Amino acid sequence: MNNRMELSFLSLAENEAFARMVISAFLMQLSPTMSLVSEVRTAVSEAVTNAVVHAYSGRADGRIFLRAALDEQKVEIEVEDFGCGIEDVAQAMTPFYTSQPDQERTGMGFSLMLSFMDGVHVTSAPGSGTLVKMTKLLQEEDIDAV
Amino acid sequence: MVKSRKSGDQLIVYLSGEIDHCSADRMRGEIETLLEDARIRRLVLNFENVGFMDSSGVGMIIGRYKTMRERGGTVIACGLKPPTEKLFRMAGLHRIIAQEDAGRQE
Repeated sequence: MNNRMELSFLSLAENEAFARMVISAFLMQLSPTMSLVSEVRTAVSEAVTNAVVHAYSGRADGRIFLRAALDEQKVEIEVEDFGCGIEDVAQAMTPFYTSQPDQERTGMGFSLMLSFMDGVHVTSAPGSGTLVKMTKLLQEEDIDAV
Repeated sequence: MVKSRKSGDQLIVYLSGEIDHCSADRMRGEIETLLEDARIRRLVLNFENVGFMDSSGVGMIIGRYKTMRERGGTVIACGLKPPTEKLFRMAGLHRIIAQEDAGRQE
């Protein structure tokens, strides 16, 4: 099976839950285990939250794209924004680093994406936005036996 | 409003739904309001009805842990489901927040 989807939505905090619902629904065609769905939707939630909180800093008129493609071997996901961008990607991906320590942020977003997915690649340029590409390789145990 | 129950120095907060950046901001405000009662020394967070949590939820819990620690109190978690419990461990929350059976506080 080969399939892909693309979705665009505004940078509203309410759309974090919407993005999770969409990615969970898209994965359903794989008959995935709860564990697989849970890991992928957590990674998507972290990436979309970064776009809402950091890229657009609470602005409600930013555009966020969620794209997903799947086949028998893997699920590929992209979360893209056109916000402020990240000056130092390596620093942003350092566990527990946060640019907003006073906001009860944990600095764990990228760490969780890295833990739950098999590959995370971030492309960013200050002033033009950020693209997060994530890959999840499918194992036999990720699919629910019918 | 978040559901809660107070008895003596204990406050049980029944969290529900999905705890993300969007809902954590609201929960933070509601729990802090409940914690204005300075007698509370033991905050029990019940996760039985929590279907999802991400790092924003972790941040919200660490924030309440700090509030309780400042007054010499503790935070207890109960009713964690496997995905939330996994996140607890990954975030190191299990080192600062003890887990108890959901029935013990009733």
